[in-house]
Amino acid sequence: MSFKIAVVGDQDTVTGFALAGATYAHISTTKEETLVKLGEFFASDEIGLVLITHRVAEELGHDFRRMLQTKRLLPLVLRIPDKTGYAPEVDELREIIKRTVGVEITIREEGG
Amino acid sequence: MAMAIAVYPTRMELLKLRQRVGLAQRGHDLLKEKVDALVIEFFEVVRRIQEARAKALEQLSAAHRALLMCFAIMGTLETKQASKEAKRELQVEISTRHIMGIAVPTVEVGEVERNALMRGYSLRMTSSVLDEASREFERALKLLIGLAELEGSAFAIARELERTKRRVNALEYILIPRLKEALKFIVMKLDEIERENFSRLKRIKAMLEERE
Repeated sequence: MSFKIAVVGDQDTVTGFALAGATYAHISTTKEETLVKLGEFFASDEIGLVLITHRVAEELGHDFRRMLQTKRLLPLVLRIPDKTGYAPEVDELREIIKRTVGVEITIREEGG
Repeated sequence: MAMAIAVYPTRMELLKLRQRVGLAQRGHDLLKEKVDALVIEFFEVVRRIQEARAKALEQLSAAHRALLMCFAIMGTLETKQASKEAKRELQVEISTRHIMGIAVPTVEVGEVERNALMRGYSLRMTSSVLDEASREFERALKLLIGLAELEGSAFAIARELERTKRRVNALEYILIPRLKEALKFIVMKLDEIERENFSRLKRIKAMLEERE
């Protein structure tokens, strides 16, 4: 199946990905609006990938996390840094590893 | 201390319980193997994510730099205008693949990078820095799509891992100890009955001998 790509974020991120060919875009201004839009994106059968900036994801907070848990396998959601390179301190993946495997891993360069 | 399951101390129950313990143990072993396999798979994906993420983020920040350049040289409004004119028809192929019964996404994408003519904005009104910015963003998008696939798999595997782990623990710490406790109870009870019977027989024998 073919799917399209959606972007949610600040003006610059959206502009950039629109230039690269992402079909749907939403410039996040208010939390409520963004949540509604995300709901639409998640419900759509056309969209296979939603890119969302870390900053927006964090603003949405709990509501966003609940949406992530209740969504189907598609669309995939990927959080990306915005133009300032902002990414949260806590790595989501690392948290999951800690919870499921019960150990904390750090990956370092091999041969060091 | 595990609570014993309420059972009748009969030989029939004993046999049934033994069977159940065997079954539970076998299930436990199988699930444990599944957990191990999943962990291996999971770490493999995590390792690939780390590599892919580093690459993608680097490309993304390069893209943002190019875009800022474009804003500066061509003007913010013009750039936004161009982004609205651009063809936004990128399609990705997403299907699911199964790793040990878990559906994980596979994403395939054709060429993301386009040449300036295919992007759809007017070449007459735009500068080459816009082409530059678009190209950088297309490259970043391609890497990010790959990263999204990996993260999607990691989340799916993690979810399954959690579920399996819970079942393993339920068997290991709740069900099997309880069954064993019940087993022990029956064996003790049966032994006790045996001993009672033995002394009873002895007593009867003594009484019979007395009568003669």
